[in-house]
Amino acid sequence: MFAAFHIADLPVIAALWDQPEWCGRPCGILREATDRDDGKIPLLALNIAARDTGISAGWPLARALVRCPDLKLLSRHPETEATLRTKLLELAESFTPDVEITSPDTVLLDLAGTKRVDFDGLETLPDSEVEVCHALAETPDLAHFAVMEPQTRGRFISTREIGSLPLSLISRLEGGGKFPPLLDLLGLRTLADYCRLPRQDLIARFGPVAGHWHDLISGKTRRLLKLHRPPESLRQSIDFDDAIHSSEALVFILNRLLHVLASRLAARHLAASVLEIRLRLEQGEMRREIRLPEPLSDPAALLKPIQTMAESLVLPSPVIGLELDATAAIPLARQNDWTRRQLPNPGRWADTLARLEALVGGGQVGIPVPLAVHQPDAFRMRDAGGDACGFPTADGLPPCSMPLRRFRPSLEISVASESRSNGHLRPLALLTGPYRGEVLEQCGPFITSGDLWNPDQEWGRLEWDIRVDRFPILRLIYQKGGRWQLDGIYF
Amino acid sequence: MTSPTIEDLRKQLREKFPQAHGHAPLPDASSEVAGRPFEVSSFPAGAISEIIPATQGGGLSLWIAGLLADPEEAAEFPKFVLVDGGDSFDPASHTAAACSQLLWVRCSKIQEALKAADLLVRDGNVPFVILDLCGLPVAALRAIPASAWWRLKLLCETGACRLVVLSPSPLVPCANLRLSLTNHSRLADFDLPRREILQRMRALPDRLRHAT
Repeated sequence: MFAAFHIADLPVIAALWDQPEWCGRPCGILREATDRDDGKIPLLALNIAARDTGISAGWPLARALVRCPDLKLLSRHPETEATLRTKLLELAESFTPDVEITSPDTVLLDLAGTKRVDFDGLETLPDSEVEVCHALAETPDLAHFAVMEPQTRGRFISTREIGSLPLSLISRLEGGGKFPPLLDLLGLRTLADYCRLPRQDLIARFGPVAGHWHDLISGKTRRLLKLHRPPESLRQSIDFDDAIHSSEALVFILNRLLHVLASRLAARHLAASVLEIRLRLEQGEMRREIRLPEPLSDPAALLKPIQTMAESLVLPSPVIGLELDATAAIPLARQNDWTRRQLPNPGRWADTLARLEALVGGGQVGIPVPLAVHQPDAFRMRDAGGDACGFPTADGLPPCSMPLRRFRPSLEISVASESRSNGHLRPLALLTGPYRGEVLEQCGPFITSGDLWNPDQEWGRLEWDIRVDRFPILRLIYQKGGRWQLDGIYF
Repeated sequence: MTSPTIEDLRKQLREKFPQAHGHAPLPDASSEVAGRPFEVSSFPAGAISEIIPATQGGGLSLWIAGLLADPEEAAEFPKFVLVDGGDSFDPASHTAAACSQLLWVRCSKIQEALKAADLLVRDGNVPFVILDLCGLPVAALRAIPASAWWRLKLLCETGACRLVVLSPSPLVPCANLRLSLTNHSRLADFDLPRREILQRMRALPDRLRHAT
C-alpha cells in the first residue's frame, strides 16, 4: 500500500507565512512570466478565500481580477517553501524511510513492511498550522491522483473509486501536459471514461504512453519509488587542547582523520573526490579545498596531496581546531580506453601541479585560454586538472601570423617621433632601452581601444611593428598620456 | 696564418688517417629532425634537445606555434608543458584549441624554471617539456652549473621524457640534439598565413661537442 502527503497551495501558504492577517482574504501568486505567455500571465496558486470567489489557478490575471477585484497578489517565498517542504519530508520519514519526493508539494510513501497505516489525526504539519492532505491507494500513482482531489483525500481509495476523478489529472503525469484538452474534445471527462476505451486503440492513436497511462489508471502498473536518501556527512572535527604551530603536526592529525574517512568511504563503497580542510585559528579561519584528479579511498594516496598542501601552508596564527570533510563519489573502476588519451598517473599529476603552484605561486600554472576581447594580453588560466572553462574564449585565428614574445611588464622607452599630416605619430628612433636604434621599417599604427563606457578602465593605444637595425622585429606601443612602450618582440 | 710546418703535419696526418679527417656524419636523429622540426617524434625520447636561433630573426616562438599547430578541437589533457622562464608566452598569438594542448608554467627566475622543469620531468605524465630560457638575462643563464643539466638528463633518461631547451645561445653541455633555427621573416611577411611562414623556417642540426 502507498500513501501520498500533499500540502495544497504551498506557494500561497508559504507567502502568507509571515502575513497571517491576509489569510482570510483572497490572495494569489502569479506564475513566472515566460516567452510563450503573450502578455497573459496566469495565476499559479490561490488560497481558499480566493477560490471561493469562483476563480481558479491557471486563469489569466486580468480575467481573475474581473471576477475578484480584491485579489491580492503576493510574491513567492522560496525559503519558506523549502522549509515547509523539509517539514513535510520529515513527517513522511516518521512513518517510513521509503519516501519519494514526487513534486515540490507532494511526497509518496511506500507502506509495505510498516504496521502503522492509520493517519487519523494527521491534519497539520508538526509545530505549525499548515494543513497536510493524505490519501492511500494500492499503487503510488493512484495515491498521487487521490491526494490531488478534495473528495478522495483522507482515506483509502480503491481503483474503482479513482475512476470518478477528472481526466485533467493526467496532466500531472510525465509527458501528459498537452493531452487533457485533446481528450476533452473527444468527450472524455473522467479517468473511468479513459479506462473504458480499448487499450490497443489508444496506443494506435496516441502512442505507447497512452497505453502506459491506461495501465496506470486501471491499477495494473505499480512502479518503484525513486527513494529519497538524505546526504550522508563525512565531516570530522577536532579541537586541540594545545594550539598547533607547525604543519607537520597538522599532517599527523589529518593522517589520523584520513584513516577514519577512508574506512567510512570503504564501508559505503565510495571514494573521495574533493577534500575540504577548515582550520580554526586563534585569529580567524583558513579553508583549503583539494580537488583530487580521480576519486580515491586509500588513506596513503589521500595523504600525499595534503602533505603538498601543508608544505605551502603559511599559518598566520596557531591552529586551535580542525575540520575535515570530503565529497563522496563513485570510485572509478574502468579499463584504460585505448582510443582516448589519458594521464598515466593522475594522482602524481595533481601532486606535481600542487608543487608547481607552491613554487611559482597561485594562478601561475594552468592552461592558457585567450579571451574573446580586444584588450592586449587578455587571457585566463584554466586549472590543468579541471573541467572546461566557463568564460568566452577567442575563436578563429590570431590577429597576427607571427607569434609575439611579450614583455611583462611592457618596457618603458623614449622614442623620437614626428607628427604626420593626417595627425598620426610616426616613430623615428628608439632612444632608450635595450633595443636602441633608428626605425628602419614600420607597419602601423594599428589603433585599438576599449571599455569606453567605463571611465576608470577605458584604454586606447597605437601599435606599430617596427624593425630596428640588428634586432628582431619589435612591437611598439604609444599609450595615452604620451607614454612609449615596447610590448614584445617577434623572436 | 698557420705556419708551413703545421700545414705539412696536417697533410701527413690526413694521408695516414683519412677517415679521422673526413666530415663527421651527423646523427640520424639530427638529420631527421631537420626536415620535421615541428613533430614530437623528431626529438629523441629520454634526452635533452636544445634549440637556438641562428639569426637575429629568432624563430623560437614560431617553433612553439608550429609545434602546437592549429588543431580543430581542444585537447582534453595538455600534450606539452611550457616552462616559461621569462614569462613571455603570448596566448593571444595562438588559437584557443592550440593553447589547450599546453600547460603553461609562468616563472620569473632561472631557479624557478629549473626546479619546475625538474618536477615536470620527474612527473612524466606529459612527456614533452619545453624549457624556454630566452627571456632571462644572459649572465644568469651562463651561471647555470653543468651539473644541473646532467641531472635533468638523467631524469629524462629515467622517465623517457623529451626535454627541449629554448635558449638564445648554446647552453646545455649534454644535449643529444641541437637545432639552430633560421627565420628570415620580414615585416612584409606578417600578412602571410602562418603555415607559409612555418614552411620557410629552416632547422639545421648543430654539431655537438659532447663532454667526455
